[in-house]
Amino acid sequence: MKDFRAPREAEARERAWEVVRSAYESREPVTWPRRHARPLIAGAVVAAAVAAVLSPPGRSVVHSLRKAVGVENAQTELFSLPAHRRLLVSGTGGAWVVNADGSRRRLGAYRDAAWSPHGLYVAATKADELVAVDPKGNVRWTLPRRAPRFPAWTGTRTDTRIAYLAGGKLHVVAGDGTGDRTIGPAAPVPPVWLPGRVVAYSNGHALVGYAVDSNSALRRVRIGPSGVTIRRHAGQSEVVSGGRVLFRGTGVFKQVVRSPDGRWLLVTWPTADQWVFIQIHPRKIVGVSRISSQFGGFPHVGGWCCSR
Amino acid sequence: MAGSSRDERAWVRRAQAGSVSDFEALFRAHWGRAYRAAYLVVRDAGAAEDIAQEAFLSAVRSLDRFDRRRPFGPWLHRIVVNRAIDWARARALRPEAEAVDAPAPDPPERDEELLRELEQLSPEHRAVIVLRYLLEYTPGEIAELLELPRGTVNSRLRRGLDALEERLQ
Repeated sequence: MKDFRAPREAEARERAWEVVRSAYESREPVTWPRRHARPLIAGAVVAAAVAAVLSPPGRSVVHSLRKAVGVENAQTELFSLPAHRRLLVSGTGGAWVVNADGSRRRLGAYRDAAWSPHGLYVAATKADELVAVDPKGNVRWTLPRRAPRFPAWTGTRTDTRIAYLAGGKLHVVAGDGTGDRTIGPAAPVPPVWLPGRVVAYSNGHALVGYAVDSNSALRRVRIGPSGVTIRRHAGQSEVVSGGRVLFRGTGVFKQVVRSPDGRWLLVTWPTADQWVFIQIHPRKIVGVSRISSQFGGFPHVGGWCCSR
Repeated sequence: MAGSSRDERAWVRRAQAGSVSDFEALFRAHWGRAYRAAYLVVRDAGAAEDIAQEAFLSAVRSLDRFDRRRPFGPWLHRIVVNRAIDWARARALRPEAEAVDAPAPDPPERDEELLRELEQLSPEHRAVIVLRYLLEYTPGEIAELLELPRGTVNSRLRRGLDALEERLQ
């Protein structure tokens, strides 16, 4: 058995090396004092905590501090997703696909990323390129554009469109990278696809739209209220649904993303460097900490894919 | 082929300091065995690539905390084999999961029968056999790697080998 060679070993090695090298190069090497500072600080914190817990008032202070930011007993690694399917995230650490079993694949050094409607491809942006890749990171096509941002993909299996911003304008391109059209001036806000293949975007003054099928501009569009929203006040954030607060915490919640089966919400919480998965009924909360170190920076969730 | 333990400690030390070439040496020394071990447990080239790649990404994330007095290989193999077992168990629970994109080419003929029979074993039995006979760990080392009692490792090895022998006869 020790002479065994697995199939496609060399190709797999070279593909993996590109991904691993990129992750290695984007890490920050830790110097000796920093490497050893953590245990020293941890020791000091433990000593202070032990001293504080000795007195009854101290106990409540420590309890409050622990509750202040982040879910208690959060997992230190994203071992698995609580719901099936896959997450797509992107940020300073590149774009990643996270599978239900917790395994992750870095697609490359992309800034934004969005699933195709059926999760077969990902539209992603680099400094001067819009790129379509498959979930293994293989590039299918590229479109050179200056500083493209916020790709959003919609459509059916046979006809899909990607809306994105570049050069201060909204563009729409077919899912195979052909027929790129400039629609009009756009503010740097992510465009949103609405039913009927209408893309809503901000022109800096109002929310306007473009209907793909009739090739017409819409002066004003309205986006219906989302079922779940984030509300912020007094240094706290709340996830609210139908007037009911589902989850509350200190600092900023950045996104709330619903799982494809609708049973779970993912709340991204940069203040706590956590993701919090909330099952609505029966209520259950799963926290995952150290998100930034797992993805090379706190990432934006590009989608939880895909309903069948 | 993995380098000597002195080479390896030097690669780890310089990789911690930011040397890409030393990190690459570490990667290339260990990729083959990690990938083969994953492949033998999961029997899916795409999944094996993901599992081995993910183990190296874990290595990148933990590099600064890695104690370079300890050997790198066992630490990596532990991640690989545990993830491969999890993957194989998950696949067994949901055989309807999406098919892999392309069938893997046939492995060399002389291995074919052994591999086919190996696949009939449970992921846990496959893992100890791979660790013992591909990666050449002792049963004591396997027990440590998988955090299992030594007796459990020995019995899994014995049962796995008995089952293979029976099928190959």
